[in-house]
Amino acid sequence: METQRLLSEPAPGISASPSEENMRYFNVMILGPAQSPYEGGVFKLELFLPEEYPMAAPKVRFLTKIYHPNIDKLGRICLDILKDKWSPALQIRTVLLSIQALLSAPNPDDPLSDNIAKHWKANEAEAVETAKEWTRLYASGA
Amino acid sequence: MFGNYGQRYIVLTEKDINERQEEDIGKVSAVLSIRREEACVLLHHYKWNISKLSDEWFADEEKVRDIVGLLLNGIDLPNSRKLTCGICFEGYSSDVMSSAGCDHFYCHECWEGYISAAISDGPGCLSLRCPDPSCGAMVLQNMINKLAKDDDKVRYARFILRAYVEDSKKTKWCPAPDCTCAVEFVSDGNYDVSCNCKFSFCWNCTEEAHRPVNCETVSRWILKNSAESENMNWILANSKPCPKCKRPIEKNQGCMHMTCTPPCKFEFCWLCLGSWAEHGERTGGFYACNRYESAKKEGVYDETEARRERAKNSLERYMHYYERWASNQTSRQKAQADLQKAEKEQLAKLTDVFGIPETQLKFIIEAWSQIIECRRVLKWTYAYGYYLDDKVKSEFFEYLQGEAESGLERLHQCAEKDLQSFLTVRSDNTEPAPSIAEFGDFRVKLAGLTSVTRNYFENLVQALEAGLEDVHSTAQGTTSSNATNIPSKKAVTKGKTKKQLPRTSSDNSDEGWPCERCTFINPSSVDACSVCDKHRY
Repeated sequence: METQRLLSEPAPGISASPSEENMRYFNVMILGPAQSPYEGGVFKLELFLPEEYPMAAPKVRFLTKIYHPNIDKLGRICLDILKDKWSPALQIRTVLLSIQALLSAPNPDDPLSDNIAKHWKANEAEAVETAKEWTRLYASGA
Repeated sequence: MFGNYGQRYIVLTEKDINERQEEDIGKVSAVLSIRREEACVLLHHYKWNISKLSDEWFADEEKVRDIVGLLLNGIDLPNSRKLTCGICFEGYSSDVMSSAGCDHFYCHECWEGYISAAISDGPGCLSLRCPDPSCGAMVLQNMINKLAKDDDKVRYARFILRAYVEDSKKTKWCPAPDCTCAVEFVSDGNYDVSCNCKFSFCWNCTEEAHRPVNCETVSRWILKNSAESENMNWILANSKPCPKCKRPIEKNQGCMHMTCTPPCKFEFCWLCLGSWAEHGERTGGFYACNRYESAKKEGVYDETEARRERAKNSLERYMHYYERWASNQTSRQKAQADLQKAEKEQLAKLTDVFGIPETQLKFIIEAWSQIIECRRVLKWTYAYGYYLDDKVKSEFFEYLQGEAESGLERLHQCAEKDLQSFLTVRSDNTEPAPSIAEFGDFRVKLAGLTSVTRNYFENLVQALEAGLEDVHSTAQGTTSSNATNIPSKKAVTKGKTKKQLPRTSSDNSDEGWPCERCTFINPSSVDACSVCDKHRY
């Protein structure tokens, strides 16, 4: 039911399609938001609905390499609604929108990747450059 | 067994707790004119502090309602026949939809799952809010009772009961398995309490009663003893205790910002274990907390490391103490079984054989109770000895411990073996039956040993609790007292003898002489101590 809604009301810059073999597994694409270091990039993610969903949060991970203080090199995301702030009233759509928002507003004060956060705090302009560079290198042309 | 407990603590049964809790809920619901379940969540939020709750309520009811998520007016069901559930997006008729008093309606199936997930997450479910992330409406107990599965309702009610005891700083659960009582600690002083289930424990650290050893030593000792040493090593290497509630926490995510599980919810920094609220630029940034670095430089962490290292190296020494600690534990359990046997069978048998009323056989029960208590004390002196690192004190301590041990052995043997000869008499008639006079002698001996051992152990506990502080001062002023093996220790032992005299002599009104070794007051007619056989001169 939720899947149908997701497909019928797509959010701008986000697409999610269920895998053919496993209806709980989604291939997700998020476009880098405008005015962010990720602009122009296409980021692939995987999203998995655990058995307890929607009572437990979906599991989401970046597959595309990304330079972001709240995302580590394995693609894991530090986002409260994916952990203790999860609510069944949230949906896949809200989760993906939150991730998109995280790309627009990195939060180096609650970091997952120490080195990137350090870089971000010490020299934001330079870190943004690296993020742009990574976007060009890894996220252009899917 | 040590002094009179008086009203230091009150044991509360589950019924008592329930009554107190219901009384509090009833009171609040009457005074604030609110429903029972509303009073319940308010009390839980204010940790059952009624005066604080009513102060804040009457100061600003709206604010309190807002914080706790109590809506003033419930929302009526919208008129539309069919509603869409905000979780599963299926359409339902309004009679199978509910909200927490707000306008976020969910179907009953989703509610059941939502409540169930929250209850399996633990006592945090007592402050469960509406599933809508922007809405703070509290899910009250009547909702739970209407929508949850039966076993979830029971668990929820248990969490409320538990919260009443656990929220209060004055009450704690009895840690004995299957015991449902709690103990309210009323006054200060020593923390040893004894529950209705007969389990004695330390109210402060909830380990079994451990006088004269302090709680810190006990927790170190127990940690060390943990049979699952593999587990222990893993916990030490991979977890840290929450700085607030002390539960071990494993870091399972990347960032250093830790949040303990509800109800604690303390947010702290994994590196320095300081409150997260105090972190920021001042501490060198969130990601490289320099508090840890500076603490490391100061050697705070190295000290812990070094201690661990030392402990590893002293395995043999540890085994020595552990074996003795454990064997006293076993003896104690045996004595508990023997006490039950005496209460259930032996007294009746003795009454039968010697015609003595059971009320006059209490000395046997007293002896066993004393043995159980002494085994407990003696057991813990081994943990004490293990951590005692003053050489002079150690030597003295071992002397006292040795004396205590041999005294207790005499008592234990008398209760175990001597009593047996009066019990086995009927089963084989080959030997002449012991006379009442012989039983009288036995009675004097056992009662005497009980009293002597009690005094000795009371003094031992006091001396150890005081940290053996008189060792260094008295060791210098050795008096030229009677022949003894270790002069420096004699001075102190003599001091003890003097202290005990008035107490023991009050039991025996006729003149006598106190035994040098065990302090028992013997009648002047005998030259050897009737308890320990030491000669008078």
